[in-house]
Amino acid sequence: MYFKKECIAMLLAGGQGSRLYELTQQTAKPAVSFGGKYRIIDFPLSNCINSGIDTVGVLTQYQPLALNEYIGNGAPWDLDRSRGGLSVLPPYQGKKTSDWYKGTANAIYQNINFIKRYNPDYVLILSGDHIYKMDYAKMLSAHKETGAVCTVATITVPMDEASRFGICNTNSDGSIYEFEEKPKNPKNDQASMGIYIFNTDVLIKYLEDDEADESSSNDFGKNIIPNLLKNGEKLYAYGFEGYWKDVGTIKSLWEANMDLIGDKPTLDIGDREFRIYSRNIARAPQFIGSDARVINSMISEGSIIKGVVENSILSGGVTVEEGATVRDSIIMDDVKIGKGAVVSYSIIDSETEIGENVSVGQPKSDGAEICVIAKGSVITDKGVGE
Amino acid sequence: MNNTAGIIFSNLNDDNLSRLTVDRTVAAIPFACRYRLVDFNLSNMVNANISNISIVTNRNYRSLKNHIGSGKDWDLARRSGGINVVSPFQNSSSGARLYTGHLEALKSMYDVIADFHEENVVLADCDTIFNIDLRLAISQHEDTSADVTVITARCKETWTSKTPRMLVKTDENSRVIDMLRSDRYNDATPEVSLNVYVFKTTYLRKLLQDSMARNYTGLTRDIMLREYRHARYMTYRYDGYIAYLSSFRDYFNSSMEILINEKARQSLFGLGARPVYTNVHNSSPAVYRDGAKVRDSLIADGCVIEGEVENCILFRNVHVEKGAVVKNSVIFHGGIVGENSNVNCVVADKNVVIGDHRNLSGHFTMPFFIEKNKRV
Repeated sequence: MYFKKECIAMLLAGGQGSRLYELTQQTAKPAVSFGGKYRIIDFPLSNCINSGIDTVGVLTQYQPLALNEYIGNGAPWDLDRSRGGLSVLPPYQGKKTSDWYKGTANAIYQNINFIKRYNPDYVLILSGDHIYKMDYAKMLSAHKETGAVCTVATITVPMDEASRFGICNTNSDGSIYEFEEKPKNPKNDQASMGIYIFNTDVLIKYLEDDEADESSSNDFGKNIIPNLLKNGEKLYAYGFEGYWKDVGTIKSLWEANMDLIGDKPTLDIGDREFRIYSRNIARAPQFIGSDARVINSMISEGSIIKGVVENSILSGGVTVEEGATVRDSIIMDDVKIGKGAVVSYSIIDSETEIGENVSVGQPKSDGAEICVIAKGSVITDKGVGE
Repeated sequence: MNNTAGIIFSNLNDDNLSRLTVDRTVAAIPFACRYRLVDFNLSNMVNANISNISIVTNRNYRSLKNHIGSGKDWDLARRSGGINVVSPFQNSSSGARLYTGHLEALKSMYDVIADFHEENVVLADCDTIFNIDLRLAISQHEDTSADVTVITARCKETWTSKTPRMLVKTDENSRVIDMLRSDRYNDATPEVSLNVYVFKTTYLRKLLQDSMARNYTGLTRDIMLREYRHARYMTYRYDGYIAYLSSFRDYFNSSMEILINEKARQSLFGLGARPVYTNVHNSSPAVYRDGAKVRDSLIADGCVIEGEVENCILFRNVHVEKGAVVKNSVIFHGGIVGENSNVNCVVADKNVVIGDHRNLSGHFTMPFFIEKNKRV
């Protein structure tokens, strides 16, 4: 027997994140490390629990090992519940059909039975690609007030970047009259955040219709939302104000990490009123040695710093040996940086070893590219090994 | 494989560390940046696959209960066994007052011990900190068919305290041939007990029944110092780092020692196969701002450092503001050191606020202690 829920969340976490290159070779994008001790998926999951949503289906597909291990039974986010809680929903084999998730809409379609078990009035659709703190409860009450069948969360983006997003063209009351996916000439700067609240019956109807349409690419932005508009359904935009960053590229991932440091960080992750939860493991406290210098940086537990760290974000268990320098970089779990090594403007994935006196990356400047080192690499002065 | 149960005494040395135990038990005293004293023996047990652990409390145990929670952080939230906080319980054998020693505590929880199906029981205090592979001690205990195996170490000169400890002399097979309680221990004395014992469960039950019948009250005085001649008492020697906290000065010295002694840190924390578990919180990583100058320090998550920190242990969520200089100090959770303040040889309990432009200094021989929630 399942208990009725007012609203459940479906979190699309199967994306590959191909523009993160080496970082997503062995890991789904939502499991990519962020801000020292976090993963990208901590943000939507923490948002859910902070918004009073206690039932979350996490749809996985691409390289799920690290992601599954990380989310486990949902306990770090208080989502290990007897009624509801977190459920991992991978693609499965059915009696008649079995298939991978073909698109965002198809992924939800294949899990309609999961949704029905909780008989919710509303379904919140989320993705695991963004860094943001958002109270979905406020969006839900806006959804109820307007009487919309679907509400799309939007955020103001710079006009010159608007053509990378799905753009919502709205009337003065916030109702949407047109949705353009990646328009060449955007009419405004209100971009869809890929966050939707649907009335459950409407969602299920449109998912079923979409599935029946063989020409559809089974995508929310390309198919479901335009179909709703075509049929004259009531759609509203919900303007979100606050920190939001798409971390789909190496550059944007680096920038979002750097938003955590500086004298006035734009992303306050220590805010105890709206906490971001993560899976914590038992590590020793961090130790800062005699000749160390740590400036404008974030350091996590289990790290041992004997060298210089500046403008950088270090995850747990990182060792920076004497005479080594780390600047403008993101260093993930259990990386070892040898004596005299220099790491500049780089993202070093976990369990990598940078040998003594090796230099990685070029100093940060306007033309410089961010250097990315894949997980588990061993870099000596003789070159790169595994 | 779960052949051994564990019992941890959380209160028995409260008086030695009275300043730190005003409203907590010895077990709950914060130590080494992110731990409480109980974490070390609890982790020693967990790392030896002991999964039925009773923590015996007496008074002031709210802070300890908060720390332990369901036992999940030690993987001890179990359906079978797991962690069991034994709250004070008066029955006919314990009399109408709270117990004061090991034996009375054990007598008061005789029913719990009677239910153990494990063949061995490890008894441990919380005032001795070390990271030991108890599996080896337990297998030696079984191989030698011992009734009791006393975990011991060589004495160290740095132990300043005058608190009597149990000294143990052995023959060449590690069998105990003499035991005495004394405060005169030094390099020349035999081995000293670390207050961790492996007991054969049946033997422990028999001792408890005897002592109830004869109204014995002291485990070492009335029982062990007599019994080692008749029963099979062995020792297992531990050679790694030990922090023995029998006074406030010991506490301060040991805290400073783990900062300067890399081997000590290695021995406590650097053993990949035997991590020390603790109640994990959800603080963000530590933040070092532009003016930060940190050396030889252990820093916990959630700290924000804008000033100078040297030779310090900063617990969770400590804020060192601009221009502040903190040296040779231990600041517990939530402490704030205000702008341009100078702090030296200070131990500040939880949530202490040191205002701007303050000058506070103790000395290595006489560290200055600030009580919980105080404002300076």
